[in-house]
Amino acid sequence: MDKQGENMKLEEVYKQHEDLEIDFLLEAIYRLSGFDFRQYNRSSISRRIHNRMNINGIETVTGLLEKVIHEEHFLESLLNDFSINVTEMFRNPSFFKTFRKEVVPILRKYPEIRIWHAGCATGEEVYSMAILLEEEGLKDKAVIYATDMNEQVLEKARKGAFPIQKMQAYTKNYMLAGGNYAFSEYYKADDQYAYFHPSILENIIFAQHNLVTDQSFNEFHVIICRNVLIYFTADLQEQVQHLFYESLSPQGFLGLGDKETLRFSQVTEKYQEIAGNERIYQRV
Amino acid sequence: MENKWKFGIRPKITIGYIIIIVCLFASVIILNNQIRSLQQERNFLLQYNNKVETLTNNVEKFVMDMQAGQRGFVITGNEIYLEPYYKAAGEWQIEFKELYQLMADKPDQQQKLQVVRETTDLWIEEAGENAIRLKRDNDDAAIQQFYANDRGREYMQSIRNQFNDFRESEREIAQVRAEELDKQNNNLTGGLFGLLLTVSIIAIVISSQVSKSIVRTINDVTQTIKKIASNNGDLKERIHVNTNDEINELANATNDLLDNLDGREWLQTNLAEIVTKYQGVASIEALAKVFMSEIAKMTNSSSGAFYVREIEDNRNHFIKNASFADNNFEKDIGRESFRIGQGLIGQCVQEKQTFIFNEIPEDYRYISTGLGEVPPRSIFIVPILFEGDVIAVMELATMSEYSKLQQDLVKQIVETFGLSINSVIGRMEIIRLLNESRAMTEELQVQSEELQTQSEELQMQTEELTQINEQLEEKTKDAETKNKELEKIRKELEEKAEQLTLHSNYKSEFLANMSHELRTPLNSILILSEMLAENDQGRLTDEDAEFANVIHSSGEDLLSLINDILDLSKVEAGKLEVLFEEVNLSELPQHMEHVFSPIAQKKNLEFHIFKEDDVIDLFFTDEKRFQQILKNLLSNAFKFTEEGSVALTIKQIENQLQTEEMRAISKDWLEVTIADTGIGIPADKHELIFETFQQADGATVRKFGGTGLGLSICKQFARLLGGWITLQSEEGVGSVFKLVVPSLPNGLILDKHLNIDYSEVAVTQSSYEPSTAFVSDLARLDVQKQTVIEKDEVLVSLHDHTNVFQNKNILIVDDDYRNIYALKTALEKRGVNILVAKDGIECLDILQDNTEIDIVLMDIMMPNMDGYEAMYRIRNDLQLKELPVIALTAKAMKNDRDKCLEAGASDYISKPLNLDQLFSVLRVWLVS
Ligand SMILES: C[S@@+](CC[C@H](N)C(=O)[O-])C[C@H]1O[C@@H](n2cnc3c(N)ncnc32)[C@H](O)[C@@H]1O
Repeated sequence: MDKQGENMKLEEVYKQHEDLEIDFLLEAIYRLSGFDFRQYNRSSISRRIHNRMNINGIETVTGLLEKVIHEEHFLESLLNDFSINVTEMFRNPSFFKTFRKEVVPILRKYPEIRIWHAGCATGEEVYSMAILLEEEGLKDKAVIYATDMNEQVLEKARKGAFPIQKMQAYTKNYMLAGGNYAFSEYYKADDQYAYFHPSILENIIFAQHNLVTDQSFNEFHVIICRNVLIYFTADLQEQVQHLFYESLSPQGFLGLGDKETLRFSQVTEKYQEIAGNERIYQRV
Repeated sequence: MENKWKFGIRPKITIGYIIIIVCLFASVIILNNQIRSLQQERNFLLQYNNKVETLTNNVEKFVMDMQAGQRGFVITGNEIYLEPYYKAAGEWQIEFKELYQLMADKPDQQQKLQVVRETTDLWIEEAGENAIRLKRDNDDAAIQQFYANDRGREYMQSIRNQFNDFRESEREIAQVRAEELDKQNNNLTGGLFGLLLTVSIIAIVISSQVSKSIVRTINDVTQTIKKIASNNGDLKERIHVNTNDEINELANATNDLLDNLDGREWLQTNLAEIVTKYQGVASIEALAKVFMSEIAKMTNSSSGAFYVREIEDNRNHFIKNASFADNNFEKDIGRESFRIGQGLIGQCVQEKQTFIFNEIPEDYRYISTGLGEVPPRSIFIVPILFEGDVIAVMELATMSEYSKLQQDLVKQIVETFGLSINSVIGRMEIIRLLNESRAMTEELQVQSEELQTQSEELQMQTEELTQINEQLEEKTKDAETKNKELEKIRKELEEKAEQLTLHSNYKSEFLANMSHELRTPLNSILILSEMLAENDQGRLTDEDAEFANVIHSSGEDLLSLINDILDLSKVEAGKLEVLFEEVNLSELPQHMEHVFSPIAQKKNLEFHIFKEDDVIDLFFTDEKRFQQILKNLLSNAFKFTEEGSVALTIKQIENQLQTEEMRAISKDWLEVTIADTGIGIPADKHELIFETFQQADGATVRKFGGTGLGLSICKQFARLLGGWITLQSEEGVGSVFKLVVPSLPNGLILDKHLNIDYSEVAVTQSSYEPSTAFVSDLARLDVQKQTVIEKDEVLVSLHDHTNVFQNKNILIVDDDYRNIYALKTALEKRGVNILVAKDGIECLDILQDNTEIDIVLMDIMMPNMDGYEAMYRIRNDLQLKELPVIALTAKAMKNDRDKCLEAGASDYISKPLNLDQLFSVLRVWLVS
């Protein structure tokens, strides 16, 4: 009993110390690279850190910190670790289906449409949206701004080449999302990648943008930011929600990931939810 | 009021009536007496008169009788006649006496009777006795004589007269008496009327008095009530009655009623007021405070406390929620909490009874006023019940006393207050639960986000792992095959080792000879040209001297080239030394300019050199090899360009554009581009020209000149420097060679070298090949003309590392032979095994027996069994859920596509088929 208590205490102290170490590490990363992870979801960050520690056989976060400061490319690889770029084309197909059904008819009335994909990762989502707009005949008057804080994923996104292993799933997603044509009309494949036709890339601007540190850069009719906020603490989510709100035109649409919600944000009253559970909100 | 002597309406009326009745009785009695005495008088008068008359008559008769007897005797002498005489003479006396006595009150009449008596006596003596004696004596004569003068008769006459007179007087007296009686009678009648009048008056007075007193109060009451009614229920009006009767009681009762109503109204308004005051209060503390302040106001309480039940460990606790002293809620009084049964208040809870104490227990707290502490006069403890349980208690204290009404008010308020408390508690509970559930959903949200992040991280890791695995697998596979190859090669090597030693001897010998043979004349050229260039005697023009210079430097190049040939063989043998040293890149442009502008001038070509500003000056590489590559490429460029330009561009590759592998080697990478507008190289020769000692095609050698060594040396050197060369070229347009090399202060590390080795040359023509041309793995360009069903179209096929189509089994289900034929030829070229079914039924048959099919291409419109049904059956009857079935649909119809998906198609592709698209789709569905 006593021993257990002691152990628990030790664990707690250990945890506290590690918290402190992580604070230092994140501060260092911020100062060295300008990437601000200080308000990211701690548990996720801590798992990523431990992941890296495991791989490199580092015992303590401080050890990691040392490497970050003194080893040339270590910071880069750690930053890479922090960036979770999991994505899919037509991820959560019902989102796109609903978008098609509920949002597109409204966008149709606009003379021009600006769409912002924040945290676009390797671009699958952006290509999905572009295909959707193309099919709805909105492509020509739409400009898609696809941003991410990670240059590397943006580089991949610009290429529009996605691993062929994933294409079966994407085909399914495309069809579930209410695709109008054969999905294969949009790409050519070799044995490794499916290369999407460059015409899809027209009107897409890929740019580096950090939601934590950077400001709004335009007014958009649609902002899509899915599965990015989950990595943030509530406070940071709130901050980013304000950024989105500021960047959204009146009556503009905000699309979130299926595990994300506006419900607990202060801006929630300024939006109305469209079509049930798809996390598509319209500014009111 | 109550003590006052009460005089009710009933006694009032009764007494009135009694008075009237008594008056009547009295008058009747008086009248009766009067009448009776009158009657008696009359009766007496009548009897008297009768007696007097009878007696008078009797006396007269007796006298007459005596006379008659005397006469009879006298005449007859018969004694018989004397008998009545004597009898009368005796009785006369008696009767007379009686009569005389009767007249005792009338001396006049007695007088007259005296006279009668005397007269009668006289008659008796003189007449009667005398005559009788005479007769008896028979003295007739005397008798004669006597009768002669008859004195008796005289007497008799006077008796008669006297009697008449007496009678007359008596009659007169009776007359007088009768008149008197009449008068009395009249008086009586008058009295009767008088009485009647009096009684009537009395009755009237009494009734009017009584009725007046009754009606007046009633009017008073009515008036007041009317007033109240007209005043819209102002219950302040009261009835004032001076009388003390039932009306008064009525008035009092009405006043009481009004008081009651008034009280009740006060109660109701206060009730309503208090209820509105605590309407919408959300917290129990606020409720208690509002409640207490209102109650205090209404009951003039000077202090109070409010306790609410809280359940802790299954025990009821009463906790103070509000308190005040002298209407100041800041003042904290009363104990913080108590249990059931603790103290007076606890007792009150236990008994669920309202307590009111006017005798204050000694230890009771004192009310603190501004002046000090004063004990309260009265305390009032009220339990507040809900569904029979005490859920709160209130204690109030006052300096005065609690009126009944105040008590009632409190009790009444409290009756419903339990419900209010309960609902507030309920509401608070609901709010608490709501907040809790909100917090919980929020937590859940956070958790679900957390889960999502975890799953994404996991996915990321899995992806990384699979990638690593794949690489590992590939490497092991490679290693295996290489092992086998190695094994084979080892044997071959062993076999050839001897031969080789022979060969290499020859080769070395040849090379040695060659270099010797070449070097000797070259040396003289070098020396001579150097001398010429010095132009000691000044016999040469400047231009000539410059030419001599060129000859010299070119000769030097040639020398080094010869050395390089040696080197190349050393490279082949792995024996070439590479020396990484500091190279000053800033001098590079001038140097190249210096070397190549004469050639440019000669061939009339433009020669541009661009060096971007951000190129670092100090670069670590083997300068000799590096320059050798550049010179080689440049001389090639000039060689094959007849018009236009040659451009040399030196730039540094931006960090972001570098691949991971490149970054791992160095952070500085140089990209040197040599672009010409020359004859270009046909695509199918792109690879060939880099092959070492490749001389298979004599024409090529001829056309591109040289020994065929130039580019191979470049390629080998590039490799040795840790980089590579790429080529983009189009026949008739020009060529672009790119040399990419890293800055390597520490030289090249072997395993890195291997990596690079793997990604030597990229050649592509694809329009959407990323601009940064060092995508590594597209080594061969494969341009094929494909037969497409509708039209011919150039298929730009990207290179397949391994042929995914090789040995795959594809089932074509179609009834159109042309289609089948086109698909078959296109696919078989790639090594696919084709099976054909002409309708759904055949398709099912084939699938039933054949488990090796990798993909089904399914036409929709077919006889016997169409594609929809076939697909449906594949999925449901044959239970082949995973088998990729690609539907071939007619383009325009969205409906078709939906039906395909419903039927179970994995994907669809529109007809007419685009082979390019078809191959893409097949690749997608062939990966496992
Ligand atoms: C899990 S991916 C989401 C991709 C895509 N939106 C989807 O839902 O499929 C998250 C992306 O957000 C990016 N990201 C994370 N923090 C960011 C920030 N502060 N600013 C911009 N992008 C950020 C990461 O680089 C990553 O590419």
